[in-house]
Amino acid sequence: MMDKELLFGRMITCPKIQKTDEEYQRTASFIKGVCQRCGQNQRTSLPRNQFYCQACLILGRVSSLDDLIFLPEPNNFDGQVELVWPGTLTKQQVQVSKDLVKSMEQGRNHLVWAVTGAGKTEMLFPLLLKAFQQKKRVALVSPRVDVIVELAPRLAAAFSNLSQVVLHGKQTTPYGYTQLVLATTHQLLRFKEAFDLLVIDEVDSFPFRGNPMLQYAVQTAQKGTSMIAYLTATPTPDLKTAVKRGNLRVSYLPLRFHQQLLPKLQIKRVNDWRLKMPKLLKKQIEVFIEEQRQFLIFVPYVSDLIIVERYLQDYTQLKGTTVHANDPNRIEKVQQMRQKNIQFLITTTILERGVTLPGIDVLILGADETTFSENALVQIAGRVGRSHERPTGLVLAVVKQVNLSVFRAQKQINAMNQRGCQLKKKFGVKDELSPLSAKD
Amino acid sequence: MTNFEKLNNKTVCSGCGRLQDSLKLCFDCQRWQQAGKFLLKNQACFTYNQAMKEYMRMYKFIGDYQLKDIFTKILQSLIKEQGMDIIVPIPVSQQTWLIRGFNQVTAMLESTSYQELLSVALVDKGHQSARQRKDRLISQQPFALSRTIDDLSGKKILLVDDVYTTGATLYHAADLFYQAGVGEVRSVTLAR
Ligand SMILES: [Zn+2]
Repeated sequence: MMDKELLFGRMITCPKIQKTDEEYQRTASFIKGVCQRCGQNQRTSLPRNQFYCQACLILGRVSSLDDLIFLPEPNNFDGQVELVWPGTLTKQQVQVSKDLVKSMEQGRNHLVWAVTGAGKTEMLFPLLLKAFQQKKRVALVSPRVDVIVELAPRLAAAFSNLSQVVLHGKQTTPYGYTQLVLATTHQLLRFKEAFDLLVIDEVDSFPFRGNPMLQYAVQTAQKGTSMIAYLTATPTPDLKTAVKRGNLRVSYLPLRFHQQLLPKLQIKRVNDWRLKMPKLLKKQIEVFIEEQRQFLIFVPYVSDLIIVERYLQDYTQLKGTTVHANDPNRIEKVQQMRQKNIQFLITTTILERGVTLPGIDVLILGADETTFSENALVQIAGRVGRSHERPTGLVLAVVKQVNLSVFRAQKQINAMNQRGCQLKKKFGVKDELSPLSAKD
Repeated sequence: MTNFEKLNNKTVCSGCGRLQDSLKLCFDCQRWQQAGKFLLKNQACFTYNQAMKEYMRMYKFIGDYQLKDIFTKILQSLIKEQGMDIIVPIPVSQQTWLIRGFNQVTAMLESTSYQELLSVALVDKGHQSARQRKDRLISQQPFALSRTIDDLSGKKILLVDDVYTTGATLYHAADLFYQAGVGEVRSVTLAR
């Protein structure tokens, strides 16, 4: 049988015919047809009246021929973790981190509503440190694998004497028992009553949002006394409702790491931009060329990429390309942009999140089409103003007609900025850099 | 990701059905002949390329039973073309039935009438590809002819398996049928 440690706080499958020590807790894999790993009722039949769960198959099969085995989480950690991160937090980050520590002590869940680029990872450090020193087991998860991959080295560097493991579908290193687990939300399905603190980054993003299986995974993976911290720039309606009803505490981080506000969402109306290149676009491109400014153009559909690419072909001095979700060269193209080998990317919503390109401007063509939700537009605005040197920039929504999503996105940004202004006053942040206008 | 590679109308070894430049017997098949075996004249639907390996991983090792449906048609029509008397699928062990829960071969034979004349006699044969090829070629007979069967003498038997790797599995099965006095044994596999 396997090393016991590997089963602490974990729930894994074991064929019914395979014997295990009495110490292991064995439960049936299905109760009333519901898979006991993922909580779903999506069975596929096998011969001889057996069946298996289709919902969580991606993590290996749970079938009626299996039991689930589990060992309770013993928190076998020494608590000797130190924070060796050399940076300091801003006053507002300190405030939020204190809020979080307080919620953990009271065993309450907490939402951090932080604008894109607010430095929320660093703001977690005091909370994480406290948890580690109290020998708590911690999971930091995200629906997005790129978020996890990016976080892992930063956390490894920030703490000493900390054991951590990274778990996601594409990684090949084996699982080990560690105090910190960095994982995609799917991986939580393999845990049971394991975590005293669970941090979910980008909680509103795909595939977590509206996925009952992943929400079940979060519930099962935490201990009864644990705390969940939700981090996002764009909370879902559910989270907002929970805040309104007083079921979820909230802290805001309305200022970005350089203490500036989010760029405003500007809106311009044009005629059908698919038929003919709008004058407005021509003018803006000329400005980009003159200023040698890098920019992203968001479009609603893959089929729009070529239309806009043709428009830009007339400007021979401009170098750039298109990118979409199934583009095999996606990562290289973003890298080309980051290294400033190209000046622009025309993209679908795939670059809405996660991509940091300092000093860019952004145009959203067809911002009034259904592809762009309110939250998507806020996320896109968050691509702009990501550097100390240029903490703001242009975010221009090009529409045929202003619709509710565009309007609400603009309001959401303004509301966050209002909170930011108040904070600046409260903490006496100087306005050394004034926000830029459209053609600045 | 590669695609599945069909073998019909391709130049293959006439002994085992593997893709090659000529119809001549491949080295492996020559060795089977030297060992005194009658050739199985195996025919396969697809090459065992990366795509097929990934399919087998999902279907057999992860156990996503519903993937059986992808190839039922093509496998059954290749079986039909052979015009043999009795179709015999390669069996899986009792333990596999209790863990995997299905026989990956019979799962693909829904509208073909077959007879499960073989059973696994040896206890679990282990992960086949992990063992040395040489070991496999000389390994013990893993099967037994099950129950009392009607007279097989002179009958033409078609064995069916999922993958032809070394041929050892199929040749062991064929041995039993030849001992029982059948006229001919051939085989069909999904992949080679
Ligand atoms: Zn399940």
